[in-house]
Amino acid sequence: MSTVLETSGLFRRFGKTEALRGVDVSVRRGELVGLVGPDGAGKTTLVRVLAGLLAPDAGTVRVLGRDPSKDPTVREAMGVMPQRYSLYGDLSIAENLQFFGRLFGLRKKDFDERTKRLLDITRLAPFTERRADALSGGMYKKLALACALLHQPEVLLLDEPTNGVDPVSRRELWELLHELVAQGMGVLLATPSMDEAARCHRVILLDQGRVLADGPPELLVRELDHPVLEVLGGDRNVVDAALLAHPDVRAASPAGTRLRVVLAPGSTERVRVALAALGARMTPVVADFEDVFLARTAHHEAVAEAGAEARAS
Amino acid sequence: MPIWLVQLLAVARKEVRQTVRDKRMMFMLLGAPLLQLIVFGFAVDFDVDRVPTVVVDHDRTEASRTHLRRLFADGTLVRVADVPDERSAEAMLDNRGAAVVLVVPARFAADLARGRSAPVQVVIDGTDANRGSVAANAVARYFQQVALELAAAHGRVPVRPRTMPRVLYNPSLRTPPYIVPGIAAMILLIITTVVMAMGLAREREMGTLEQVLVTPLSPRVLMLGKLLPFVLIGLVDFGVALVAGSYVFGMPLRGSVPLVLSGTLLYLMCTLGIGLFVSTLARTQQQAFMAGFLVMLPAILLSGTMTPIDSMPSWMRPLTLVNPLRYFISFLRKSLLEGAGLDVLWPNLVALAVLGGTLFLLASLRFRRTLA
Repeated sequence: MSTVLETSGLFRRFGKTEALRGVDVSVRRGELVGLVGPDGAGKTTLVRVLAGLLAPDAGTVRVLGRDPSKDPTVREAMGVMPQRYSLYGDLSIAENLQFFGRLFGLRKKDFDERTKRLLDITRLAPFTERRADALSGGMYKKLALACALLHQPEVLLLDEPTNGVDPVSRRELWELLHELVAQGMGVLLATPSMDEAARCHRVILLDQGRVLADGPPELLVRELDHPVLEVLGGDRNVVDAALLAHPDVRAASPAGTRLRVVLAPGSTERVRVALAALGARMTPVVADFEDVFLARTAHHEAVAEAGAEARAS
Repeated sequence: MPIWLVQLLAVARKEVRQTVRDKRMMFMLLGAPLLQLIVFGFAVDFDVDRVPTVVVDHDRTEASRTHLRRLFADGTLVRVADVPDERSAEAMLDNRGAAVVLVVPARFAADLARGRSAPVQVVIDGTDANRGSVAANAVARYFQQVALELAAAHGRVPVRPRTMPRVLYNPSLRTPPYIVPGIAAMILLIITTVVMAMGLAREREMGTLEQVLVTPLSPRVLMLGKLLPFVLIGLVDFGVALVAGSYVFGMPLRGSVPLVLSGTLLYLMCTLGIGLFVSTLARTQQQAFMAGFLVMLPAILLSGTMTPIDSMPSWMRPLTLVNPLRYFISFLRKSLLEGAGLDVLWPNLVALAVLGGTLFLLASLRFRRTLA
């Protein structure tokens, strides 16, 4: 499979903040790549650099062999859906589609065909006269995706496309994505959701501007050398505090009535002894992608918070 | 159709749709200019007349009464009261019952008859400097005339130059013909500078700029597409202002249409350049609005629209040289009121073209840089 998007050694800083610190990523034709990381990891900056909206301080970007910040022609083959609301709220669905269709110079026949299909798939057809700012979050995102797909791009960049979208619309969006990828589109999707990351062909884990892991989610889970266990018994608050303070605990987050912990490699016995003193015991569980994320991302205090949020959402 | 033209029309059409749906914007574009024309046209009146005057006549002779009647016949001053002494007259000045007090001394007529000087006291409320000096001039002018008549009556022919003013182009020296071109130019400035700056800031604020920039649309076409509708709206407003100026305020329309139009287009290049520049400084519509007005006020005050440039302090006058409004106002007045042709107006056109070209070029460069 050929590579449609590739970066090497990307650096980008904003004032004192280094948003990207040497990022190498690639996306192949027909590949769905998830870009995951906590808030502030640099996901949006990376997407903006890939889209040519932001020039990197150092490093190279190649989309279909061209540099998007220097060669605007690559935009004819690239679709971008920014995280922010970026359609014209005071224009209707039909008017937004028409506007973007014209910017891409689509012929009327192609435009009519594609909008009809996209409106059918996204089930927006009955609402074409509705103004974009009167759409629900899910409908809006579907319209934004439709606008980004009108010109049938070869590369698609999506920044948190399912943020604020209801589960039904979310599933529809994903079905559409899988269909597009099956037809050969290369997709990079930034998401804070571990569930979504696990559904990608390949996942790139970004934290503090660096790539921490890159590979198929199943493989990353299989290769995880951190033990993952559930903690039962003991006084919940005491156990919680003890886990957070323990140097071998990489992450601790509530999972139902229990606590799920990710431990440093080879430290299970030490933690078991410490917990036994508090009247708690541990049983091993099957690791999932979120555990990989928690294990890989930095220090356990910060991670515990992020993990709790991720599970809560 | 080439793709850039399709894109240009798409942007222009989108802009028109958004503008029509935005009630605030529609008011700025159509209501505000009309309001300004009416308010400025009727209210801004530099002609001073009917200044309320109170008279203290200590002389009370046939001669003093005649002089006072002749003085008031001019219409600049209006006799609102006669009071017996200065104290009550000044009280009227204080409570704004009058703006001028005329005190005719006792033995006024007798002194004049004997050829002695007879001082008439004029007390003026100086809070409105312009009105005060006009009133003082009216009194001085009248008694100069009296002095001449007296000299002639005594058989002495005074040797002194006499001025015989003959006013051209605006013979009755009324304000509207002078001020309406200024208003028309101001309306154009507001619409193209503020609205243009706000239109671009809106795209930035709403995040739509980002979506547009990931399409093959080039920044240049985006810019042109956005300003095209406002140029047209601006020209319509401008035309309405001139027609209203002609019918409602009796302003003459003498200049040739192609000449006025080409001057206007050059001026638009300047104002749009300023609007574009402002938009590169502003992140939000509110900032653009504020910045737009910050630019507009000095531009209007330093243009010669309201006050003559010659009466500005000398250190300030050079500032007017980089003010496109200055050249356009003088261009409009000369072409509309005097019917002047290219032979007279070419320096204005050159100045507008140079300023417009420079402003537009700098602004577009900055605009493209701030997009990256």
